Amino acid sequence: MRIQLALLTAIALSTAAFSADVEVIVHTPDGAPVANAVVSVPGDLSAVPAPAEMPSMEQRDQQFNPFVLVVREGAEVVFPNRDRVRHHVYSFARGNRFELELYGREEERTVRFEVAGGVPIGCNIHDDMLAFIRVVDTPHAVVTDATGTARLTGISDGAQTVTVWHPYARGRNNLVTAEMADGQDRLEVVIDITAPD
Amino acid sequence: MTRLFFLALAPLLLGGPALAQDHPGELPVDPYEVSNANAGADPLAGAAVYDAFGGHDGIERVVARLIVNIQADTRIEGIFRASDWVRLRRTLVEQFCYLLGGPCDYTGRDMTSVHTDHGITTAEFNALVENLQLAMEAEGIPFRSQNRLLALLAPMHGEVVTR
Repeated sequence: MRIQLALLTAIALSTAAFSADVEVIVHTPDGAPVANAVVSVPGDLSAVPAPAEMPSMEQRDQQFNPFVLVVREGAEVVFPNRDRVRHHVYSFARGNRFELELYGREEERTVRFEVAGGVPIGCNIHDDMLAFIRVVDTPHAVVTDATGTARLTGISDGAQTVTVWHPYARGRNNLVTAEMADGQDRLEVVIDITAPD
Repeated sequence: MTRLFFLALAPLLLGGPALAQDHPGELPVDPYEVSNANAGADPLAGAAVYDAFGGHDGIERVVARLIVNIQADTRIEGIFRASDWVRLRRTLVEQFCYLLGGPCDYTGRDMTSVHTDHGITTAEFNALVENLQLAMEAEGIPFRSQNRLLALLAPMHGEVVTR
């Protein structure tokens, strides 16, 4: 029994030695937290199993939910329409173009996203509906919460380049990168946001 | 004292705008002010056309057939797929009855509110008119009376079509 416990402890310690949890806080130059930013570090997609639940871009009360969804390259996303009116969801994003006519309460339709990048989606019928799907080629990608915080788990040791994407971030492809030193477990990233009119 | 208070309040309550009531078998709707003005047109004077439709029973038959036609029409059935058919049937009968000069009040929502979120095209509007014409024809409504109803509904195009 004692040997088993000792063994478990050893395994736990060795896991900790090869990977780490990292907290990234994203804010504007004024210090305002930035929600809906996608924080990622490189990693091997095959090394971490995909989430069991299919990612979902819901339509409810004529809004998309969530506003920003991050998925892996090749992921299938379900587009449940919870409204009683139809939606005509589309994107013109290169490599990820699609068009879905979703009738009221049609909740099973899916789209596969094959190419990494940002995918703005809209509705042909309801102009105010807007959301973004960020397709990534790493298993380590998390959307920041209302406090601008994203927690990445199971990151390999060593220095890392952290990428922050936000649909309205100023910068090439709406991206900002920051370097994180070996052993560092907290990083603040400043991005400049231009809110659309 | 209490009784006096209620007596004083009663006229205010009666005089205020009527709000939509719940109907058995129908899904709840957001509150709105009930008014015959919501029917989207002024009713015909006199009951001649209402009578030509076969009165309330005749209108109910036309609406029932219209709904069957819509559900079979691939051009527009998708728009209605998540509709509350019980409510739709009731309010359509009320609207036609009221507009044709019958003894009915329309208790549904106004034409803009009802249609605006559906993104209806002119082709879809026309498809519905076709289905109504077929329903009236099948129920043996005289051609002139059919046209009286269509003439009341046609100007609603501007409130119904948004794309």
